[in-house]
Amino acid sequence: MIRDKYILLAFRFVVGGVFIWAGVLKILDPLDFAQNIANYRVFPQAVSFFLALVLPWIELACGFFLILGIFRDAASLLLSVFIVVFLGLIVATLIRGLDIDCGCFGTISRKVDIKLLLADMVLLFFSLNIFFSKTKKGVAS
Amino acid sequence: MFVRNTFSRWIQPGSGPLSLKKMILRVALILFFSSLIGLGTNISLIKMFFQGEFQHGFFSSEEYSAIVFITLGEAEELFAAGEALFIDSRTVKDFKEGHVFGAVNIPFEEKREGDELGLESYPLEGVYVIYCDGSECQSSVELAKLLDKRGFQDIRVFFGGWEEWVRAGLPVSRNDDSR
Repeated sequence: MIRDKYILLAFRFVVGGVFIWAGVLKILDPLDFAQNIANYRVFPQAVSFFLALVLPWIELACGFFLILGIFRDAASLLLSVFIVVFLGLIVATLIRGLDIDCGCFGTISRKVDIKLLLADMVLLFFSLNIFFSKTKKGVAS
Repeated sequence: MFVRNTFSRWIQPGSGPLSLKKMILRVALILFFSSLIGLGTNISLIKMFFQGEFQHGFFSSEEYSAIVFITLGEAEELFAAGEALFIDSRTVKDFKEGHVFGAVNIPFEEKREGDELGLESYPLEGVYVIYCDGSECQSSVELAKLLDKRGFQDIRVFFGGWEEWVRAGLPVSRNDDSR
């Protein structure tokens, strides 16, 4: 685990920034995101719909909290769980051979592929480092 | 050992800088308020959902006004009347293995961005019935959205698709016999 506070700060800005960006793009077009979720063929239509309404706001909130250092640990825990779920979906999609957009960044999403898997793993590494980092009183959460 | 120490520091109530109780409370707060805002800002969409919209695809019928979802019975009527061109949006391989008699193949499932679909040869005023495998596939809906954007005026998505057509014992073919 990385302990350097400047590197951890950079991790917070990267992970927070990515999720703020992802959240905003999805919030702008919730139906498009719902369709992206449905394309994975994992969730029923109603679940895809309600996930699309709620998930982007959670991403946005966690992103802001990470950058601002408020509820840093809870935010990084939630985002780590999300990334693990995304990784599972990506692997399942690759195994099933589905050719779909990931839905990660709204209408400018990329296809589900190995590069996306690697990018998510890097994000997970950053996020877990933030979660397990030792908080200094008054600095983080 | 490292993992156990790390977890015990973080998870055991009162043992670390953030106790389990606090952590759960914070996670719950984030989830609760984010969900509240997410649902609250999309009340109109939620109303539409409970009025029966988005059952087959997530798009607003106002935005894509030329698209209508049809059942097997309606698809069969259009087929019998010979009024509509059936478009199979599955892969070339699936199409060659069998398709609705007279259908043409626009393999939207395997198209990449920038690929030509050859839509120019079809009149905008015609009636088109698009189908893919069945209710779970999305390529028919995605292709229908694209046709709507290109100005096609009457697009029907047969959401039961190939599976329902075959199950009903309706005419199929393996040849290129587009009507």
